[in-house]
Amino acid sequence: MIELKNLAKTFVYDKKEAKARQKKEVKDPREGDGVFHAVKNVNLNVEPGKVLGLLGPNGAGKTTTLRMLSTALQPTSGQILIDGKDVTKDPIYATKQIGFLSGKTGLYHRLTVQENVEYFGRMHGLSKDVLAERVEQIFTLLDMHSFASKRADDLSTGMTQRASIARAVIHNPRVLVFDEPTTGLDVISAKTVLDFIESYRGTEMSVIFSTHHLHEVEQLCDQVCLIDLGESKFFGSTEEFRQISDTGDLYSSFLKLVEQQKEVA
Amino acid sequence: MWLVYKKELLELLRDKRTLILSILLPTLIFPIIFFFVGKFSADRNAEAQAQDIKIAFVNVEQMPGLKALFTREKGFVEVDLQSSDYENQILGKSVDYIVEIPENSLAPRESKEQQSINLHYKGASNLNRILSSRIDKVFESYNNTERKALGEAYNIPNRSLKAFNQPVDVVNKNYASSREKIGELAGPFTAYMLILLAIAGAMYPTLEVGVGEKERGTLETLLLTPMKKSKIVLAKFGVIFSASFASVAVTLLSYLFWAYIFTTSFNLKGLGFMSNISTLDILLIGVLLIPLTSIFASVMLSASIYAKNMKEAQAYMSPIMMMGFVPVIVAFVPGMELNWKTALIPVTNVALAMKDLIKGTVDYGMIAVLLLSTILIAGALLYFVTQFFKKEKVLFRS
Repeated sequence: MIELKNLAKTFVYDKKEAKARQKKEVKDPREGDGVFHAVKNVNLNVEPGKVLGLLGPNGAGKTTTLRMLSTALQPTSGQILIDGKDVTKDPIYATKQIGFLSGKTGLYHRLTVQENVEYFGRMHGLSKDVLAERVEQIFTLLDMHSFASKRADDLSTGMTQRASIARAVIHNPRVLVFDEPTTGLDVISAKTVLDFIESYRGTEMSVIFSTHHLHEVEQLCDQVCLIDLGESKFFGSTEEFRQISDTGDLYSSFLKLVEQQKEVA
Repeated sequence: MWLVYKKELLELLRDKRTLILSILLPTLIFPIIFFFVGKFSADRNAEAQAQDIKIAFVNVEQMPGLKALFTREKGFVEVDLQSSDYENQILGKSVDYIVEIPENSLAPRESKEQQSINLHYKGASNLNRILSSRIDKVFESYNNTERKALGEAYNIPNRSLKAFNQPVDVVNKNYASSREKIGELAGPFTAYMLILLAIAGAMYPTLEVGVGEKERGTLETLLLTPMKKSKIVLAKFGVIFSASFASVAVTLLSYLFWAYIFTTSFNLKGLGFMSNISTLDILLIGVLLIPLTSIFASVMLSASIYAKNMKEAQAYMSPIMMMGFVPVIVAFVPGMELNWKTALIPVTNVALAMKDLIKGTVDYGMIAVLLLSTILIAGALLYFVTQFFKKEKVLFRS
């Protein structure tokens, strides 16, 4: 189980940037004196076998939250617990437990697919035998054998996406974090990603998945967390999220919560 | 760490641009270009020496013997002037040189006075300089003839005439070896080339392993592995250093090889001084390049990691190159030598030491001082880049 408790991240502007921000007419309410509270208070938890959809408008703090979860960024305050262990205090443990994929993450173009996947497996400390077994398992699952020896710069978008997934899960992580993984993908490539996420439902893994596409949430997610202006405004089941609006659809619920937040701000 | 290093190196070696820029260009293409440029230049020079010079004379009968000195030389063709407009005829290329003796002038032997001769020509190119030197030689010959005649007219013996002409003849006894003399020119040139290659060899890998990873989206995935950031950055530094050093070392060896080939095959005496450079001196040049390359690798990697995109990173590279070249140019200033003060100036110290090593005048104690100072600077910069790589602001700068 993964839990995020009162998670916050504040960025300090350098002098030049702080001056430029002061001149701006429209300011983000999270801006302070020379600082930006990108994430102020995010709370959520995901049980094994569940998929959580992380929603929010652009700049809400989703990517910052996921980057903290993946240990790329150090939280200013709060806790990230995986099976009760605070990973902010042990980032190495966290990297072993988490698999991360975003629409922007890439592969090494001059390495073959197999070399890419094996490289990350070895970076995660997998032994030769375990790595060979995992590669075989994942390549079969994602039907990647036919292009395993192709260089990454020779792959189609769909192949690249499958290779990226394989790279993200080679070390058999307990938690999978997907940051807008279908952004910019065509329908078939996006389906590859969504099918893969779906295959993890009901397993021992927890999946956190940020997206702007509400039909994906509808299709995959057991839980929803909506972040706006750096705070989690909603956390609950997909069904509960649907009930927020009078019409009972995710789209209306999303808009209602975001509009409410605008009025408060 | 070796895992990242090997992966980065493998990727670089699979890139044809790296191989062409780092290996093929300095080892094969540059020497071939140098050879053909040199040959072309020598051929042009020989052509200029053999080229016919169209020459015309005005009032030349007033100085008997002058015209004969020109016409007996090969390559001088006398032409007739069409008018008294000398400039237009020279610019129209109907004549190259006009020797005009002013009216009422006499030969010095008769007038017993110094006389003036007007020489009309167009001298704007290197070719003209070569042609003019041929004209000067003839005038020198005429001056000698007239000097002799003047001496005879005044009953001055030849020996005394020489004293009039040049009261003191300074005979140079220069004890500098040919290695020192040629090394004075070749040393700075070699230092400049090697430092240029160190920077050029580091540039492409730096962009590739720094900002290139950011742009491709592989840096973030790399940071999400259990490997410590300091090890990742050290591996990246190692790749840049290896590429840069390999580029310089391969070039150095290639130049030594080609120098040997040119010296033995074409009997180029100018390169003979290289045979006096000991293996120790060549090794020391290589050793000097280690901390120097580390300095450039650290500075360039910091800039590449800091940059948001490739364009920004490339913009940072130009000032870094300038940072490398300016201290090398300082080392060329006459009077600059390796001493306690200059041994502490990064880059300049290495350039000065290389010059001394090639000239064979190096103070090995100073080499130790400069190595120590350069290693300290390289170490400090390497520490800085590892700390820099840990900063979220740098890694996720947007």
